[in-house]
Amino acid sequence: MSTGGLVALHTQHLAEPVASTYLDLLGRAIRSARLNKTFPERRQLDGTLRALGAKAHHGLYDGIYLDSRWGLPNMASFTRPVADQGVGAGALAEYESQAELDAKADQADVFARMAAKRRYFELLQTLTLAPVDEHRVLLRRHEPAEARASFRVELTKLSGSGAYLRVVIELTQTSSVWSHKLVDLDVNGEVASGTEALRGMVYRFASYDAETLFIRLHELEGVQVERVQRGIVGPVRFALPTEHGVVSVLEAADDLTSAAWSEACAAAGGQPLMMASFGSDVAALDVREEKSNDPLAPLLSAGIRDVERARYTLLRERHPFRVYKDRKFVASRPLVAGIKSACNDAGCKNLIYPLR
Amino acid sequence: MAGEKLNLDILQKDVAYTGEGISVKSLEDEISEERDVQNVKVEELKVLRERNVEIQKSLADEVGKLRKFSDYINGTATKGGFWAGFKEVLSHLPGLKNIAISQRSIEELLKQQYQISARRVKEAAEYVDTLKKSEQDLYEEIDRINGKILEAATNEAAAADHVIELKRLIDEIGEEMQTVEAGSVDARDLEAKQDKARAQLAKHSANLQLYSAAEDRYANLKTNTRKLVETIRNLGQDIGQYTTAASIKLDMASAQIQAIGTAADASVVMLELKKSLDVMTESMNATTQFVSDTQVFFRKNLDNLITELDTFDENTSKLLDENLEFSKQIEDERIERAIEKAIKNRAERGDAPPAGEGA
Repeated sequence: MSTGGLVALHTQHLAEPVASTYLDLLGRAIRSARLNKTFPERRQLDGTLRALGAKAHHGLYDGIYLDSRWGLPNMASFTRPVADQGVGAGALAEYESQAELDAKADQADVFARMAAKRRYFELLQTLTLAPVDEHRVLLRRHEPAEARASFRVELTKLSGSGAYLRVVIELTQTSSVWSHKLVDLDVNGEVASGTEALRGMVYRFASYDAETLFIRLHELEGVQVERVQRGIVGPVRFALPTEHGVVSVLEAADDLTSAAWSEACAAAGGQPLMMASFGSDVAALDVREEKSNDPLAPLLSAGIRDVERARYTLLRERHPFRVYKDRKFVASRPLVAGIKSACNDAGCKNLIYPLR
Repeated sequence: MAGEKLNLDILQKDVAYTGEGISVKSLEDEISEERDVQNVKVEELKVLRERNVEIQKSLADEVGKLRKFSDYINGTATKGGFWAGFKEVLSHLPGLKNIAISQRSIEELLKQQYQISARRVKEAAEYVDTLKKSEQDLYEEIDRINGKILEAATNEAAAADHVIELKRLIDEIGEEMQTVEAGSVDARDLEAKQDKARAQLAKHSANLQLYSAAEDRYANLKTNTRKLVETIRNLGQDIGQYTTAASIKLDMASAQIQAIGTAADASVVMLELKKSLDVMTESMNATTQFVSDTQVFFRKNLDNLITELDTFDENTSKLLDENLEFSKQIEDERIERAIEKAIKNRAERGDAPPAGEGA
């Protein structure tokens, strides 16, 4: 399979060694981004990116699959190490020792393969991997006398658009209104778990603005939402020179950084380039100013059609939250100035970390 | 002195048999050990067969759910269209039996199902390596049996050569005895030498038989071990081909499955949806074919093989029993002849029969 080509719907294959170069750059970009708890956990992402590389699997796979729009590993790639970790945990007990397998590696392909797998499986047992999806519900405060409890709901999700994101919701539920119960507490009132209704709703709305989810939840009787925040990894662009040409994201959407990207690519002179951005989107009661400092994502209100505006305004008046959107970038040095200029032109002041 | 022309060095000849020597018991023990190794592998194969059935079933179940789901979305499974079949298909997905449709995200459910299917394919791929390792173990076993066959054949040839030499010597001694006076010292000396030659003939002819039997039995063991290897290799290849195909299909279908989920969640049927269904259906067809083929394969081959091995057991014991019976018969005849000779000698010498023996 040639490297960098589209192989299925929104699916791009990166063959080794290009895949490992990409994974190394992306790992460095994520580390450089200094992600806080708004975003999916960096340690898990690090683990998955490491597990996908040839140094980890010792040639067991010929490459990885990416989402050709967003530039991140796709569901098949996120699933691979997780499935291998599970299978490996059981298989290791039945394998011969590493020394025995290494000694027999020349006798037959299967022993060489099992020697490589043993190393890979052993490594996987030490790694924390990024989940394709993960739900958590944490109890923040319980006031039995008031029949009220506050929760923090967290969802990490690889979305259908190819983005890897995290949604965090802080809400208070008054338990007298059972018809809209979103969170169950155990008999001791200590452990919370989300109902299927909450889980499904958050999951479906995770790909939309924080504002949309805030309104949807807040409109439920007995539920008061304090904060909805989203942290989104990507989109990612890369240009990786190979002997057959430059491999890049094939279906990247045009945005304000496209011109800077094209200029840097033209002047790259065979150097690999990467640009990753990390968007955050908060709808909360304690946001002081409603603003988008994200050059790639304007406020929802900016895109509302005139016929909808009156209804939207009425809706917003009912809910006293504000929205703040932001984005930071990590980019190879030749890109930094161009991205900064594009952000300034859009009236945004963004953090732009050079890729280390 | 009579017999000066005889080559009596043959009697002193140390026949260079390789290995640890042979007897009916040692042969029986060694064959039994080899059979134990084979039995262990057959037992392993039985366990592998059971695991294969589990993995196949699980694979077929999990991937089948994806197929069913896509069939319903495709509108081919029910006359009532998408939503009519939707509720039913959700009952096949994890944790959904008692939950209203609107509560769960279809995208999430499909992704869960995708991950379960991917895990099952990985398990099947792991199973292929277990089979390949088992196949390699059996090749080593065949090498070992070949060594035994070669050793038995070499020893059989050495025994045969020596038996012929001894037979010739016995005949030559017999001819020489015609030239000397019966009962003379020379005659007695020749007789003694002939006895020695006969004793050695008995010993080495028994070896000849045993090494010949060993060669045949090891050859039979090898034939059965080869059948085991072929069974395991064919199974491994079949599953290997399937898992490779299934793994590629799943890799290719991941974005399409997400697209289905996202579209279903948004209640929008998109063109991408239709595209994805074709890929999933191919994968499902491969699963169904694989399950059907390998189950038939196992039913036909493994059961036959086990029956053959049982028959082989019977044949081996029968052969060993016959050999023992034959040896006993020879020994009885030999003893009988010896007794006859003893009685005859005594009669010639005019000795009285021992006490208790009839007149």
